Amino acid sequence: MVAPIPEKLTPELVFREYAPRIYNIARRMLGNDADAEDVTQDVLLQVVRKLDTFRGESQLSTWLHRVTVNAALAHRQKRANRQRHETGDLADDLMETTAPESAVKRWNISPEEPILAAEQQDVIEKAIAQLPEPFRDVYVLADVEGLPNAEIGEMLGLSVPAVKSRLHRARMRMRDLLAPHFEGELAS
Amino acid sequence: MNCSELMSLLVDFLGGELVQERRETVELHIRACPRCEVYVASYTQTVKVARALPKCGRLPATFEARLRQLLEPELKARQDD
Ligand SMILES: [Zn+2]
Repeated sequence: MVAPIPEKLTPELVFREYAPRIYNIARRMLGNDADAEDVTQDVLLQVVRKLDTFRGESQLSTWLHRVTVNAALAHRQKRANRQRHETGDLADDLMETTAPESAVKRWNISPEEPILAAEQQDVIEKAIAQLPEPFRDVYVLADVEGLPNAEIGEMLGLSVPAVKSRLHRARMRMRDLLAPHFEGELAS
Repeated sequence: MNCSELMSLLVDFLGGELVQERRETVELHIRACPRCEVYVASYTQTVKVARALPKCGRLPATFEARLRQLLEPELKARQDD
């Protein structure tokens, strides 16, 4: 949760709360630290300059997500143009992701309130990074950030059914990658 | 309801967006079909572990230092207003 807006925007709040939130979303969407740093810096400059115009916590939180997503998408576009990167067919991309090859360690985590060890986080982050970008964007915003599908649709220019369809396919792929770590009969 | 119909409803099912009758049909199928039961359980677990990822993890130290240098003058100016 974003903390309620204080009277004054303190550096502590910016560096402990806003910057890490922006950074984490950007890093998951873009898949690398350097790009995430560029995006975080861009977005923070906007936050600092526009903060006076916000009246409430939910308004800032929504805006922060939207600006971060826009900045990440723009950054990716720039990078794609630079690299003349070609995106293949989405379905093929999705099928080409590789399953974990190393010896699989089972996770002993509570299904009710999972608390993840660093190693487990690492496995999940790597699986997310393997999702093709259009699926990864929806997945990060829906399942990691917990945003409503309608809000995600607005941010990405997708209908709600399109968001749900991508989310489902991303979850299936994530399930395939993570299930070997689950306990008992779930590991299939 | 067959297995693939159930699959196509999973997002709405987990999102609590199905009307009661539809939800009950899904639950009935899950109870009766061991394959779907296991699949839905692992799919649900996948959703839960993703929600448990940190959203506010620390910034890399060198990056935070760079950001502070860039933004602190601006933030200070604001506090002094
Ligand atoms: Zn079934």
